Amino acid sequence: MSSAQIEIQIIASLVAIACAIPGTFLVLRKMAMISDAISHSILPGIVVGFFITQDLNSPLLILLAALTGIITVVLVEYIQKTGLVKEDTAIGLVFPILFSIGVIMIAKNANDVHLDVDAVLLGELAFAPFDRLIVSGIDMGPKSLWIIGSILIITIGLLFAFFKELKISTFDAGLAASLGFSPSVIHYGLMSVSSITTVGAFDAVGAILVVALMIAPAATAYLLTNNLKRMLIYSISFGVFSAISGYWLAHGLDASIAGSITTMLGVLFLAVYLFAPSKGVIAVMYREKQQRTEVSLLTFLLHLKNHTEESERHVNHLNEHINWQKVRSKTVLDLALKNNMIQLDKNIVSLTEKGDHFTSQAIDYIITNEDGKIEHMKDDFFLFRG
Amino acid sequence: MDLTEYIKLVFTDYTLRTITLGTAILGAVTGMLGSFAVLRKQSLLGDAISHAALPGIAIAFLITGAKDSNILLLGALISGLIGTFWIRGIISKTHLKSDTALGLILSLFFGFGMLLLTFIQKQPNANQAGLDKYLFGQAATLVESDVWMMAIVTGLCLFVLLLFWKEFKILLFDADYTKTLGFNTKLIDILITSFIVLAIVLGLQTVGVVLMSAMLLAPAAAARQWTNSLSIMVFLSAIFGAFSGVFGTAISASQNNLSTGPVIVIIAGVFVLVSFIFSPSRGLLFKQIRFLKNRRDLQLHKTLAFMFRIAETHENISHPHAIKILNNFQGFTKRTLQKLVSKNYVKLDGTMWSLTEKGFKIASNLYNQQNNNNE
Repeated sequence: MSSAQIEIQIIASLVAIACAIPGTFLVLRKMAMISDAISHSILPGIVVGFFITQDLNSPLLILLAALTGIITVVLVEYIQKTGLVKEDTAIGLVFPILFSIGVIMIAKNANDVHLDVDAVLLGELAFAPFDRLIVSGIDMGPKSLWIIGSILIITIGLLFAFFKELKISTFDAGLAASLGFSPSVIHYGLMSVSSITTVGAFDAVGAILVVALMIAPAATAYLLTNNLKRMLIYSISFGVFSAISGYWLAHGLDASIAGSITTMLGVLFLAVYLFAPSKGVIAVMYREKQQRTEVSLLTFLLHLKNHTEESERHVNHLNEHINWQKVRSKTVLDLALKNNMIQLDKNIVSLTEKGDHFTSQAIDYIITNEDGKIEHMKDDFFLFRG
Repeated sequence: MDLTEYIKLVFTDYTLRTITLGTAILGAVTGMLGSFAVLRKQSLLGDAISHAALPGIAIAFLITGAKDSNILLLGALISGLIGTFWIRGIISKTHLKSDTALGLILSLFFGFGMLLLTFIQKQPNANQAGLDKYLFGQAATLVESDVWMMAIVTGLCLFVLLLFWKEFKILLFDADYTKTLGFNTKLIDILITSFIVLAIVLGLQTVGVVLMSAMLLAPAAAARQWTNSLSIMVFLSAIFGAFSGVFGTAISASQNNLSTGPVIVIIAGVFVLVSFIFSPSRGLLFKQIRFLKNRRDLQLHKTLAFMFRIAETHENISHPHAIKILNNFQGFTKRTLQKLVSKNYVKLDGTMWSLTEKGFKIASNLYNQQNNNNE
């Protein structure tokens, strides 16, 4: 590995961490699309900043662009407050228009500006190590490393300083307000951090990857845990993992690094989406199937309890009476037999002691809806796990 | 270039005619379908779909190696649909919310598309130039066959829209009721979503991935302000969209270095702004005027009520009082006094005022009316 390669991986990892922290809160606050809006609408800010400073890495440019990001948020909120359109429409209107203004500003000054919409949107991490910070003749490393590093330090500092404020205002804004934290200050603080991170990272990785790095690790982590601290740690590790593996994927395919990192994030998300232990699609589908069977079982047992006459309890009668197909009735019958809930006597089904007890308990639960009565049933039955 | 010259040019010049027609048709069809997206609160779906279409374009190119725009658009359509249904899957199967699902699919698909595009660019096959026009769109690359394609799709949309009008309408406003009536809501839903995807994919070549969502939303958001009727909204939205296309093309054609997509979006934005401000029933301007008028009316009532209280204490209700005593009361201004005079509620005589018979009657009924209104 050459030093440039190491530098690229460090920059990518730092960007991933810097994005994952605000991203987690954006996902939890249901504001993920705001990050997409910010990432596009900072373009006019970048262009104006670039006209003034002529340097893509200057702090002034970052501040100006971040300001545009905050203006976007304010505009969206203003439009939403007028009640003329819904919030999502407001977002969808504001950012393309701001982005268009940026594109036109670039186009009108194309001759004397070394600035490219592609570069802003897509970024090129591979060039990051070549733009070096030289302080009095000494090479201090790539400029973007310094920029994203300082943003990261500020973000982490703010996270530790305001962790409980952030936590409480994210999950219960009303409580936060009544405890004396101003939700709007925290809201705009978070928006500012997101904007600054987006601007700081766009040069290295492009605006779209910033969105991916903010949302995807947080969403992936959210499928795995319900604990905020753990979610933060998971999303940071997912981000860093994708950053480094994405770099090597790009290296192998000779393709865009930003694209590869996003692809790795996508693969990671897909895997978790399918296989997450309790919230993955497969787990959810399995649970739904189990619950369906258990509902059938309960219906079946109730039916048996309600009918003493033999004609109602004949095996062949059951599937026409409860309206189940053959296979389904057989599954339910087998399940009930296996659990010793019923006994078969010359094709006449009747409840055993255990089955009778279970059914009465279940009816009790359904009528009273008291959780305590079914505590011990939760281990055996998905249905009662809420 | 003056206006008549430009209009003449639109009819004679092949390129200009094609682009103008193309953008107009595109604006109309996206405006039409956008109304449904906006009303179904799926505004950002357009943004997500347009980004999600990118890998489809790249994969279609990788498989066929051809740059035939219809095949590329087919690829875009397929990957856009996959993206859309994955978004649905995420929302319905996990606890992630719709904004997260949209942002995820948008950025992940787009990133994957970028990976493929850069991968294609490194291929020895030199035929790949121009794929990135789908990123930002280049209306200038439209040819007559593209316009025909758009016209056909628009015709199809219109046909399906008219055919299933009542199903679409009822699903839009009361999905549960639709289900109880026995309509297959899932099928209607898929149908309308597919058409939205189709319209977005059509626009990619003209305005590009990034700006497509505005094409979908802006005309519809503007049209929404003028009417509460779905059919009028769809119609207006199509007109706004078409005009954004025509004006946008005209402005970008008359200037150097102006790409058409962003100009069209800004024109559509102007439509939205004007609608937001000047719409008679919902617009901000008239809302503000109504607000001020109500406040003035209230102040007028307050002054009148105050006068009534004073006049009540005298046997002769028209007994004159000094204007000065009104000054203690904040609701009083010279203008309101003048207004009361012009309504013939009050008579002025030098620095004295007196309530007229009519004014007394109105004032004594003031509270009754309010009480009646409150009930």
